Amino acid sequence: MAYQPDRSQYPQPGSDGKLDIDLKSGKYLKLWQGPQHPGITGNMSVELTVCGDEVVEGITHVGYLHRGFEKLMERRTFIQCFPIVCRICVPEPDFNEYCYAAAVEELAGIEIPQQAKWIRALILEMGRINSYLMYVGGQAGSFGMGVIGQWTTYVRDLMLDRFEELTGARIYHMFILPGGVRDSLPEGFAQRMEGTLCEIEKTMQDVYDAMYCNAVYKKRSVGVGVIDLDLMDSYGVTGPNARAAGVAKDVRKDQPYLVYSELEFEAILGVDSDIYTRSDVRRRDLLQSVDLVRQILVKMPKEGSIMTKLPNVLHWKIPRGETYIRGECSRGEYGYYLVTDGSAYPRRVNVRGPSYTHAMSLLERMIVNLNIADVAGLMVSLHTYPPEIER
Amino acid sequence: MQDLYKKLKKQFSLGELTEQRDDLAFITIEKDKLRPLLTHLRDVEGYSHLVLLTAVDWLEEGIFQLTYLISNRTAAKDIGLRVMISRDKATMESIHDIWPTAATYQRELREMFGIDFPDSPRVNDDFILEGWNNIPPYRRDFDTLKYSTENFAQRPGRETKDPAEHMKQQLYPDGAE
Amino acid sequence: MSIKDLFSPFTAWKYVLKDPVTIPDPLNDRPGSARYRGFHKNDNETCIGCGTCETICQNGAIDMLPVNEAETKEGDSGLRPRIDYGRCCWCALCVDVCMTGSLTMSNEYKWVESDPDAFRFTPGIDKKFWDNTELGYQRPDDHRLMAPERIAMGEMEAEDRINSFTEIVDGYSIEQAKLEADRCVSCGICIATCPTHMSIPDYIEAVRDGDYERGLKLLYETNPFSNVCGRVCTRKCEDSCASRHEGEPIAIRWLKRHIIDQVPFEKYREIIGESEPSTGKKIAIIGAGPAGLTTAFDLVRKGHDVTVYEAKAAAGGMTRYGIPEYRLPYDALDKDIELIVSLGVKIVYNTRIGADISMQKLQDDFDAVLLAIGLQEGRQTRIPQSEHEKVYRAVDLLDKITAGENFDLPHCAVVIGGGNVAMDIARSLARLQKQQYGQVDVIVTAMEEQQHFMADPDEIKESLEEGIVIRDQCGPQGCEIDQSGKLIGLKTWKVLSIFDKDHRFSPQYDDSDEVIHACDTVIEAIGQFSDTSLLGNKLTEQLEWDRGRIKIAYDGQTSVDWLWSAGDCVSGPDVVHAVADGHRVANSIHSYLTV
Repeated sequence: MAYQPDRSQYPQPGSDGKLDIDLKSGKYLKLWQGPQHPGITGNMSVELTVCGDEVVEGITHVGYLHRGFEKLMERRTFIQCFPIVCRICVPEPDFNEYCYAAAVEELAGIEIPQQAKWIRALILEMGRINSYLMYVGGQAGSFGMGVIGQWTTYVRDLMLDRFEELTGARIYHMFILPGGVRDSLPEGFAQRMEGTLCEIEKTMQDVYDAMYCNAVYKKRSVGVGVIDLDLMDSYGVTGPNARAAGVAKDVRKDQPYLVYSELEFEAILGVDSDIYTRSDVRRRDLLQSVDLVRQILVKMPKEGSIMTKLPNVLHWKIPRGETYIRGECSRGEYGYYLVTDGSAYPRRVNVRGPSYTHAMSLLERMIVNLNIADVAGLMVSLHTYPPEIER
Repeated sequence: MQDLYKKLKKQFSLGELTEQRDDLAFITIEKDKLRPLLTHLRDVEGYSHLVLLTAVDWLEEGIFQLTYLISNRTAAKDIGLRVMISRDKATMESIHDIWPTAATYQRELREMFGIDFPDSPRVNDDFILEGWNNIPPYRRDFDTLKYSTENFAQRPGRETKDPAEHMKQQLYPDGAE
Repeated sequence: MSIKDLFSPFTAWKYVLKDPVTIPDPLNDRPGSARYRGFHKNDNETCIGCGTCETICQNGAIDMLPVNEAETKEGDSGLRPRIDYGRCCWCALCVDVCMTGSLTMSNEYKWVESDPDAFRFTPGIDKKFWDNTELGYQRPDDHRLMAPERIAMGEMEAEDRINSFTEIVDGYSIEQAKLEADRCVSCGICIATCPTHMSIPDYIEAVRDGDYERGLKLLYETNPFSNVCGRVCTRKCEDSCASRHEGEPIAIRWLKRHIIDQVPFEKYREIIGESEPSTGKKIAIIGAGPAGLTTAFDLVRKGHDVTVYEAKAAAGGMTRYGIPEYRLPYDALDKDIELIVSLGVKIVYNTRIGADISMQKLQDDFDAVLLAIGLQEGRQTRIPQSEHEKVYRAVDLLDKITAGENFDLPHCAVVIGGGNVAMDIARSLARLQKQQYGQVDVIVTAMEEQQHFMADPDEIKESLEEGIVIRDQCGPQGCEIDQSGKLIGLKTWKVLSIFDKDHRFSPQYDDSDEVIHACDTVIEAIGQFSDTSLLGNKLTEQLEWDRGRIKIAYDGQTSVDWLWSAGDCVSGPDVVHAVADGHRVANSIHSYLTV
């Protein structure tokens, strides 16, 4: 089922990489999908050149929510960077907090308490569940099943309630900071979490019945948007996008961070690498995260210190060095490349979001020969969050 | 990582090695040694995943550091290749033919740092910024605060006092007690 | 695809029968969680306006502004944080870093206004409907951004130090000093409390940076007695330190000493810089204590010709003849003095004004005269039989110990008084007793309860460690003398209260609770006074007086235009206060002479 976009009937790219398209010929049409469009994930747009309803070329455009975080961090002290990193990804902000904190800790030579590691892992899995819930709704919506999004939004909201009682905030939790985490679990948290998890499982069963076992959904997603195995490395494909093709790569398994070596789980794999398989890998990964949250709540110590003693954060200087911290977020490999120069400010922070590769060069390649109606489905199936492209 | 470094050293001229972790090392190399080394690492040593390509501006030293972070997914090990290039008319050879996805990184570096990658596809197209009229903004000499003060109106009504200075004015304005 | 895939989607219809999950009245039925980071609260009483919240705010959302509800006073800048909710991101770093715990967050998150400027408000001052909300984010116990404990100062063990007059404290190592300096949040509230307003946060920063020469320069800008103050300053600054509220104050005094310890003395002159060209004006200073010599330091740097007359054989005043060597080694004091002399200040020793040279002569020979004679005479209790020869004044004995004069070392001494001088004499005697008799037998009696002693708590703690007995709430009633005329003890009654309701000294005793403290010597350490007989009758009459002290203007000038007075004799006993006096007087004299 190797995917090869068939360009034979369309103009070939010139030496500058651009297609020579004569719009006046009446054969082609330019169409903007986004930035304001229900079929686009977040604030980005795809400039489509279509012939009939078939896409000849798709050029991605980003920059609609560029806030220059990487640059802003260069004039903030290490502690001051902590509240802004989460804003790089709205649906799953905690990975930014974790990767940033871990990078700072590594370069500053700080070891965090065990309990903080458990709570960090708990938060990351909660965030993964939420991110997937949002994805499932989006994937269903992109193929016209709006009601699924309403169901998943409801259970996501329940999880936000758990976030709120644990971290004090719903979306941007600002809870994982260099040195540990802010607080321990509140009284009775595990019980209420169990209630939420049951509700999520129930809803996901309904979603399974209505969406995954749905002739229309299958018709539109099976065999569509296949990422060929050859593309995995050349386009830096990671996470569920890679696992749906059977590439058993999960950072939690390969380079266990936090407490993942103490948890029982498998890298969820697929075979067909099409939209349906990717959505199913994510569904199963979601349910696995539900199980991981349960495991964490059972296995984590009941109490313990949650914060390492930091130097005075107001004039905290970190010796010159560089490091890269990665984690497996819901969309794939999330990483922070941090460079320090001995001052109280980071020299350079570079955020490696999976959408950077998935939604730019890979999407542009895969979009060719697709029907216009399937563009949204393909984009969502790559699980794109634009802010991590432009940071 | 030491072993790999020693092995590579027989074939390539390598600069400084920094072993950051057991699974992460940085190696400094010269500009023209990058391509053969990258190809070798990808094809022979299994470092087939380009994790990221980015730049660090060492303004004071007049150089850009380009970091090519590549990963061996099977061995779960990463190598960061550091290439130091002159900030002045910064140019670097494109690697989009080794990793197609590198074209995106190179386009961003062209825009944000002003580093040119001749022959990289669409490298001169706007990436994030449109109609930018200043020096590449991720260079260290671009002052974000100054730019925002000059280009955006500040909301009126803000003022603040330094505690020590305020206490001096209130309690001992003459300097002595 | 199977046949199931055609029917399965219809299960969605079951949602038709489900109740809605939305909250009917979210404005009222949905409070924020117990640790929700909602709108700010600030306890105006606890807040000290240190501005650390403003410093850490990465959004620049906080301004520090004066409010009517807070007064600017020692330890409180009188400023309060005003938060701009147009910028705030509710990260709560301001709450985490708050030095007093005054700043917290409520769990309230709904607030509607038509005026956008209303969202720039001063929590705790501008009344808000969530001010009394109990729930909301407060810094968790285990989550402290600032280290509460100071770095412990190494010191000799009691059994080692009681044998000698060797300095007790070790001083910080560079590593320790950096750690301690790191705790400082640089708010600068301490500066106002320091009598001489040393630039404390700046020199602490110099310690952090390891730039000791910059640190020394900063010290000498305000304090030529940095060697002395680095060891024995009363360090009122530490009482104003922001870190004091939820932990121990920064060891400001020890950090000052650390700078001193790190810079070789040979470099001092170079760091301090050259004096201004000579003005030809001549100034006489009476008394080579901290006040007199600080004035001399300032004036000589301004190009004046300064002569200091000192009655004793060495300079330093009470810092030499009052403070024991184990607290302030003579070589540290000598450095301060040597530096001042090296700038060109002439000190004439063993010359008592009034006896060896008259005030009139000074008036004739100099353009201005400063009287900085300190408080040399010990006050007496005047209790019955206290005129016995074995009843001493503490300052007299301390003087003898410094000068190396012989005196009858008591086998068993009772000290009257709970101040630092009482501790000084008790601990000095204890050392001598240990050296000569092999055991310590000193009792300190004072009227106050021990926790209200005037003495530095460290002094009390160390005295007890050294085997000195402290008996508090003991009011002296008389000395006991046997038939042979030998002093055998001090009689005290238990003190019920010391002051009346108007805070006047009016002790009440329980005479049934009488104790005779057996001893062969009684030492009075209840305060000092100044002997102003050197002025002579004419000048004494000419001068205006204020309750036994020479009346001076704010700048130290007396009612006689060529005469100034400064230091303990007009301001009461305190080294750093004397230094501050010295600067002020020097400024005054300088402008008097150059106008």
